[in-house]
Amino acid sequence: MKNRIALAAVLSLSSISAAMAAPNNVGCGVGTIIFEGQSGVAPQVLAVTTNGTLGNQTFGITSGTLGCSEDGVVANPMKVSMFLDTNLDKLAYDMAVGQGETLESLANLIGVDGAHKAAFFAATKAHFSEIISSERANTQDVIAGLNRVLAQEAELAQYARLV
Amino acid sequence: MSRLIIFLALFGLLASSPVFSADADYLQTLTAQARAGGLAETRQWRALMHYRDNLIFPGVTGQADDPAFYLAAAGKTDPAAELEASLKAFFAPPLVETDSLQHAQCKFIARYQWLREVLNFDPHRLPPQPCPRFHAWRDALNARSLTLVFPSAYINNPSSMFGHTLLRVDGADQDERTRLLAYAINYAVGPDGDNGVLFTFKSLIGAYPGVFSLSPYYVKVKEYSDMENRDIWEYRLNFTQEEIDRLLMHAWELGPTRFDYYFFDENCAYHLLSLFEVARPSLHLTDRFRGWVIPVDTVRSLAEQQDMLTEVVYRPANNTRLRARLAELSLHERELLHALLTDAPPRTVLADVSAVRQPLLLEGAYALLRYEASEGLRDHAAAARRSRELLLARSHISAGEEGSEPPVPTPRPDQGHPTRRLALGLGREHGRDFQSLALRPAYNDLLDPAGGYTEGAQINFMDIHLRHYQNSGRVALEKLALVDIYSLAPRDDFFKPVSWKINTGIARTRLRDDERAAVFRTNGGAGLAWGGWDGAVVYGFVEATLDVGARLDGDYALGLGPSLGVFVRPLPAWKINLHARLQDYRFGDEHTEREFRLEQSVSLSRRHAIRLNLSSLRERGAERASAELAWHWYF
Repeated sequence: MKNRIALAAVLSLSSISAAMAAPNNVGCGVGTIIFEGQSGVAPQVLAVTTNGTLGNQTFGITSGTLGCSEDGVVANPMKVSMFLDTNLDKLAYDMAVGQGETLESLANLIGVDGAHKAAFFAATKAHFSEIISSERANTQDVIAGLNRVLAQEAELAQYARLV
Repeated sequence: MSRLIIFLALFGLLASSPVFSADADYLQTLTAQARAGGLAETRQWRALMHYRDNLIFPGVTGQADDPAFYLAAAGKTDPAAELEASLKAFFAPPLVETDSLQHAQCKFIARYQWLREVLNFDPHRLPPQPCPRFHAWRDALNARSLTLVFPSAYINNPSSMFGHTLLRVDGADQDERTRLLAYAINYAVGPDGDNGVLFTFKSLIGAYPGVFSLSPYYVKVKEYSDMENRDIWEYRLNFTQEEIDRLLMHAWELGPTRFDYYFFDENCAYHLLSLFEVARPSLHLTDRFRGWVIPVDTVRSLAEQQDMLTEVVYRPANNTRLRARLAELSLHERELLHALLTDAPPRTVLADVSAVRQPLLLEGAYALLRYEASEGLRDHAAAARRSRELLLARSHISAGEEGSEPPVPTPRPDQGHPTRRLALGLGREHGRDFQSLALRPAYNDLLDPAGGYTEGAQINFMDIHLRHYQNSGRVALEKLALVDIYSLAPRDDFFKPVSWKINTGIARTRLRDDERAAVFRTNGGAGLAWGGWDGAVVYGFVEATLDVGARLDGDYALGLGPSLGVFVRPLPAWKINLHARLQDYRFGDEHTEREFRLEQSVSLSRRHAIRLNLSSLRERGAERASAELAWHWYF
């Protein structure tokens, strides 16, 4: 048990240092793997996320174009992928349940019309297993799955290319 | 292309010489107007340039620690020179914006817009620049309203133990269900910041550069709500569109500007207040904070402004949600939840459960599994596989009973007791009567009036207790707690947190010659707590104490021992703590200490409370009983 915690701490430490060494476009659709969220042990014990430090998804306000940011806002083509990178697990949950703010926000980002939202929610629930195709699905897999599912639905096909 | 730019720039320089005199004339006119109007002394200019009155000498000093922010050589201390240098800079020839280059009118757009309005710039004599980067940024934010976001205190992380504030810019194309898409303006230490304790220490002395930054709100929600499990409070503020625009222009202008970060005063909460003062110069928010700024106090100072809050939204953390979900399950269902976390097919486990209850169990099991995985209690690969299986099973069920949301805590953080505390008391110790005076600048302890603070989390800072003894007339320092942190976290069948405590400061201990001498004491420990009976909590700790002082044999004493206690709240306003402690000092000055303590507090309002402490302390074999009744005022 103790060993396992120690191992988890070491693993998450090394993944953190890996994340720190990564280039600036981390969080820009580089392919976060679902359910592989950062372990809570290290953040709690070592206080990795502090109020004080800038994460790699935090941008300077007049920093110009850098990674996925343009002066601090997410560049348009990256909006969906960056959102998914951060929220894959919560999105999967909302899809399975059939509602929730993460799913609502995705619909907003894609530009799903209010009249089509119910169909969008129903489709992502019904085709959950295709969109979250494995426990190791990453952002690109989810985008591809979502596009395939939307393309099959007459009402939603118009959104398939927008994801 | 670049050659063309150079050519144009050169041409501009040459061509500007003939009109230069016209520019100079107009600059002179504007400067004279600004002087006549006393613009450099106005509140708006002070706010824009972050000037603060000097503590001792007359005059002001700008808080920005970045030479690029002040255009005049003496701009950090000379508001008038700075204003004139700004006016002059606005006359610079047009240029093509790049990632690193902006015209002064764009780079310092808040100053420019304010001066343009009050001095009524003639667009022919001082042509406005297009500022494409600023406008693209402002359009992307599409701001409609501002929300002050307050993630509550997180005691396990020293840098956020007092909480934090950030500013959310709510877009016109969002609603309450899609707020994750908003942006958050955050004042924080730059990317070189360290973590944890080192961070706290270095930020005490302003060793870090702090900057404003922007990130999607969903990034912040993930950080606070999902990873650190801190409840978030969102205070929607009542600012007009014009004020919002002004604030954003100023945020743009502050862009890369460095302000030395100070943990206590020039911190996140302070700098957000200074943004609000730019948005609405009639607000006096930062003036009242001298010395230290605690985030919840800044929330309070905003909330107290008339008509400032339009809405307050509570966003419970993942764990808070999970606890609420677990609380509504029956005993049998809680057992099934554990079964759902094994490898058995979810359908088999739930075979006897009614269809309407199945969603609750699957959602609860998923949340619990994610929590345990994040705590490192489960194998990652297996947890990932099981997570997907649970969600897949959930996606096959169309509808059912909806899980209830956690209740919104009352009072809200801004309605809790103020963080400063003054206490006056009367007491008797070992037959000697005394009067007591105590002052605690910050922040909250377990017996303070309940509500608005993280349950079970105590942080006392610089808590000083003085006594005046009736007979001898002597005034003595009874105790000085530099830091006193106590985290009491009850365990149950799902959550197994460890409670802990640490405190350091000056305390009194009885010596061999019967005198009570001051020693420097550091005490810490870890323990377990169980609760759940109407707010009662039972706890047990193992503690260690190190006393250092010239009067001790060998100058120190190191002790170890258990402590036990129970917390009860018979009425919402009445708190009782019964506590027993034994410390066996085996190293240095050998002796033992045993204490029984009964502490009670009755809060009369969020500003006043009465406290009665009874204790019996046995040190080196001698018994010493004391009683103290004190009135506590929170301000």
